Amino acid sequence: MSVSSKLKETLVCLKAGRVTLPYPAQARPVPEKFRGRPIFDVTKCTGCAGCANNCPAREILVFDICQEIRVLEYSGLRCTYCGRCADLCPEKAITLSHDFETGTDSIHDNQQRLEIFMSTCQRCGRCFEEPSALEELKMKGYRLDDLANDRWVFRSRSYLEGEPAVEDIPIEMD
Amino acid sequence: MVARDRLEQLRGKFGSAIQRVDLPGDSRLFVFVEPSVVKNICQYIFRDLDARYVISIGIDDRPFSGNFMVAHNFAFDEDHLLCSVLTYLPSNNPKIDSISDVVPAANWAEREMRDLVGIEPVGHRYLKRLVLPDGWPEGEHPLRKDFSWDHVPKEFNDEREFTFDEPPEGCTVVPFGPFHPTLDEPAHFRLYVEGEMVRGCEYRGFMAHRGIEKMAESVLGYNDIPMLAERICGICGCVHSVAYVQAVESAVALKPPPRAEYIRTIMLEIERLHSHLLWVGLACHIVGFDTLFMQSFRIREPIMWIAEKISGNRKTYALCVIGGVRWDITPVLKSELRQVLDKLEAEWREVVAAVSKDKNIQKRTVGVGLTNRDLVKNAGLVGPVARAAGVDIDCRRDHPYAAYDRVEFDVITAGGGDVWSRLLVRMSEVFESIRIIRQCLERMDDGPLQSPVDGELPVGRMGLSSVEAPRGESHHFVITGENNRPRRWRVRAPTYQNLQAVPMMIKDQQIADMTISLGSIDPCFSCTDRLETIDLRSGATRVWSQRELLELARAKEVRR
Repeated sequence: MSVSSKLKETLVCLKAGRVTLPYPAQARPVPEKFRGRPIFDVTKCTGCAGCANNCPAREILVFDICQEIRVLEYSGLRCTYCGRCADLCPEKAITLSHDFETGTDSIHDNQQRLEIFMSTCQRCGRCFEEPSALEELKMKGYRLDDLANDRWVFRSRSYLEGEPAVEDIPIEMD
Repeated sequence: MVARDRLEQLRGKFGSAIQRVDLPGDSRLFVFVEPSVVKNICQYIFRDLDARYVISIGIDDRPFSGNFMVAHNFAFDEDHLLCSVLTYLPSNNPKIDSISDVVPAANWAEREMRDLVGIEPVGHRYLKRLVLPDGWPEGEHPLRKDFSWDHVPKEFNDEREFTFDEPPEGCTVVPFGPFHPTLDEPAHFRLYVEGEMVRGCEYRGFMAHRGIEKMAESVLGYNDIPMLAERICGICGCVHSVAYVQAVESAVALKPPPRAEYIRTIMLEIERLHSHLLWVGLACHIVGFDTLFMQSFRIREPIMWIAEKISGNRKTYALCVIGGVRWDITPVLKSELRQVLDKLEAEWREVVAAVSKDKNIQKRTVGVGLTNRDLVKNAGLVGPVARAAGVDIDCRRDHPYAAYDRVEFDVITAGGGDVWSRLLVRMSEVFESIRIIRQCLERMDDGPLQSPVDGELPVGRMGLSSVEAPRGESHHFVITGENNRPRRWRVRAPTYQNLQAVPMMIKDQQIADMTISLGSIDPCFSCTDRLETIDLRSGATRVWSQRELLELARAKEVRR
């Protein structure tokens, strides 16, 4: 056994002392920029669906009940907290909170459902200004994601004639 | 001009068998050849021209060219050149000569190609299923374009069990894994043991296969992928995100602004710092020296905090988008980062001074998990494992990306080829990383963070990118495609190659050294696995069947 090494290692330990925090009694404050659970502000949201379009985890679903009412649901299941939704939101209606303790018995604690009255901008898809072609809306017109099964519907058969509903469940509409 | 010289060499040798050549720059070479000469040309490149094997990729190109494609990628490290040998195969019953007897490192890649794309490597000696789950029916290949991303074959039989090979005569079988055989990730080694000595093993992995490549090809968009690529690995996430973005950028000839390149470099080095400190801690933990494990993690923590301050998260930085980065390093963050580095450097010096003479650690690591130059060459080993065997390769210097061509650093090597050398290499690389970050902070100018992307990205271009992850070279291959997403994206994590050499490294060693030998490559099974596998533990000890587990999971879904 090399004594000098052991002494040096002891010194390293002694110098450091105790550094563990008594979490959860005392949590370390998170930095200003921290990306926690996203919070949606219903008063600012215009329902452009830019966030839903660019969510890598497909956590944000959009369903049009009728011409005037659009439902936007954040399902809080597999969100990666990347913050792309907040980046791209033209109205800055999404903020990434400092909330990271999201463990819960009921997933509803993490979910949010916005019912948005769509006044003038209906279905044109132009209220979302994409920074580049890479963020362009994939789907214009009615959005009918499958809220019950947390599934994003890529294309709706009713508005894109000739293009079948590929890659996901087909939606039939009159 | 070296790329042209290499091309002339190939032309001189193979002449008209080379059908087409793409030479997008001095550092990339795409050679399209006839299927019949693939094996010879790979042998020539690998043996005579002494290139390093990187990866083989199977591509279903039927919707576009009507053919299957195979790419064998090689790296000429001294020439700073990445080379891809491509060939088209007919659309029905695609077959290609296996290169695994001349390039042993291609073993897994060819088996994966057979599993996922259904291209048969003719002449491969060990065609056991590698990636797909045990119950998956024959003839279903998930990476084919006519296979929908959410399709589960009807014939999927979750009762079918894995068949293990027969152990050699006189050996006892000792299972190692599948639960957390070193770190908290799944892999199964079936060790053949004679007394205390390991004589061989069978590897069974890919239990955490998540289908991330298929997702990228069919569901996600170009700018969605970096956020998920980052989740390929829990330690070197930023590496995968940068590698993917660079592969796309090199395919479409888009150059990120200099400031973005510096920021990428800084974040990659921050990642290397935390990864190396983590590894040293874990290696000490594995050999039973928890004191240093604790200290290593303590010293590492400020790095995590500064990463959190810069990017908003300790580990998943969500840094890259095509053409740039998302987070800036402000003057305040700069000075904080400098302070963190100063403190880290001082503390790490003390630890290195203590550990580098510690006889206890040496007794557990010297002469353990041996590799040599031949093994490095034949198994395609990368990163600290190769450098610890005296092979001087480092993508940061050999295939410069981001801002690495504008900073000075040394590539650390050692000669022992054992776990101890790997420890020394990693401990010294920490100082080089600190040096690189300091230079970047000094040299980066103000400027935009993102280059403008004009219109949709061109279709059908190929891009290669190698990024030096803390554990070795991470190689990404991209073919750009329609609908705002790549046509094919292949990720080769460093562990993919390093893991293949573990059976050789542990051969004729004590069984007690298995953990540290495996730990010393810094294995990252999730990186290696990448796709989605539903797997079973075989044998009588099974408690849950897959169906029961699924029912349990579904019951939970309903509850919410």
